[in-house]
Amino acid sequence: MISAEKPAPQTTASPAKIEIRNLNFYYGETKALKSINMTLPERSVTAFIGPSGCGKSTLLRVLNRIYELYPRQRAEGEVLVDGKNILDRSQDLNMLRTKVGMVFQKPTPFPMSIYENIAFGIRLYETLSRSEIDERVEAALRRAALWNEVKDKLNASGLSLSGGQQQRLCIARTVAVKPEIILLDEPASALDPLSTAKIEELIDELRADYTIVIVTHNMQQAARVSRQTAFMYLGELVEFDDTSKIFTSPQQKRTQDYVTGRFG
Amino acid sequence: MSSVTYPRRKLTNSIMMGLCILAAGIGIAWLALILGALLYKGIAGLSASVFTEMTPPPGEAGGLLNAIAGSLAMSVIAMLVGTPIGILAGTYMAEYGRFSRLTLLVRFINDILLSAPSIVVGLFVYEMLVVPMGHFSAVAGSFALAVLVIPVVVRTTEDMLNLVPNALREAGTAIGAPRWIVIRSVAYRAASSGIVTGILLAIARISGETAPLLFTALNNQFWSSNLNAPMASLPVTIFQFALSPYEEWQQLAWTGALIITLTVLGLSIVARSLTGRKEDR
Repeated sequence: MISAEKPAPQTTASPAKIEIRNLNFYYGETKALKSINMTLPERSVTAFIGPSGCGKSTLLRVLNRIYELYPRQRAEGEVLVDGKNILDRSQDLNMLRTKVGMVFQKPTPFPMSIYENIAFGIRLYETLSRSEIDERVEAALRRAALWNEVKDKLNASGLSLSGGQQQRLCIARTVAVKPEIILLDEPASALDPLSTAKIEELIDELRADYTIVIVTHNMQQAARVSRQTAFMYLGELVEFDDTSKIFTSPQQKRTQDYVTGRFG
Repeated sequence: MSSVTYPRRKLTNSIMMGLCILAAGIGIAWLALILGALLYKGIAGLSASVFTEMTPPPGEAGGLLNAIAGSLAMSVIAMLVGTPIGILAGTYMAEYGRFSRLTLLVRFINDILLSAPSIVVGLFVYEMLVVPMGHFSAVAGSFALAVLVIPVVVRTTEDMLNLVPNALREAGTAIGAPRWIVIRSVAYRAASSGIVTGILLAIARISGETAPLLFTALNNQFWSSNLNAPMASLPVTIFQFALSPYEEWQQLAWTGALIITLTVLGLSIVARSLTGRKEDR
């Protein structure tokens, strides 16, 4: 099904990386996403905002089909990544996820050493020499601004790091498998302000190379890190536009009410 | 709060606290008495000959070597058979079949097996193996013990894997790892100390079992390494010797009981320290 009635909202000039067409999502009988249409540009940060239960995390979880881990969750419609529908049955899920990485709300280091946390993902689909893997691990840790803090204790458990460091380790792990898209599900909401600032700096640096989608509860954060923002409410995409427009001159009254703190 | 109720609450609190301490004391006292009696009576007979000589005929000196070796052999075989089955079943229930009806059914049956009297397991194996084979054997004894191992390992494996946060599985999946790698490299690793604890508890459980061996491995006064023949075991030897009128036998029974108890105690301490280390992290 392709919706002909209204064109997908488009914001900026850069080429489309992800096109969502008439997407519906169900938890069992409950419809959690209603006819979502939007186009996310390449190498740019897009924020999803909205009150709890509005469907922003659900939408994010469709983009790498991680919801497939659970029964009775299903998506209908089309999600085109580089023009290819990832909701298609023939889509290989593991390959999709190496292309579309994800970082979660709570830091989730694997119960392994810092080095292994990163090398684990690299070794999955690439056969590399020890020195090549060493290089990739270092590059990923540098990319996540963690190298200087951990270079002398790469064999220490990933769980021994602080919460903020663990989250950067998770970002490093995601970057290490060379994805094109990075999904961030409230990546800083469990962190202190200093760690949050570091994560935001990191997002700023990563956006030149990756298409980033971030779900956040924190509107200031959305305003700081994203170029375009989608406001969602009750499973619908209410408004999707350049971040500056969403926060200064939204077209919809509900958006205006939410960003000015009148509800939510 | 009025000034009348507060002293009364404090009094009630003290009384209840006292009762709790008393109840705990009674529980521990029995355990201490049993351990004390075992140590007192068992240590007297503990000597090198216990581990080097065979079970003696009445009235002669001897040891428990064939019984200890038999117990070890049958326990090892039971663990080799029961542990993989238990871990795989637990893995299915916690990972692949978490939302399936089959898991509910298996969990229900497993819980019954877990609390089934071991003598029932002995009778079951008697009917399944001993009768068709026509004689008692170490194989049948090992099989009976394996049937006891499986539900313990299934239960702890499932419980421990269920304690692994889903966020960790999602994280593994999100970097493109297939399901089986997520289970092997992430879930097992996160649950490893708990799963090992379950295996140790299963060893502790079977090392003292007498009933399932009575109808299966029977007993053997002599050294036997033939798995197709009756084999001695510590619990059955203790059972036989403790009921006998001969003093040497009774002494060996006490010593055998002490050996089993110390083994189980040692395993429990290792199991505890494994889970303890996990909690520290």
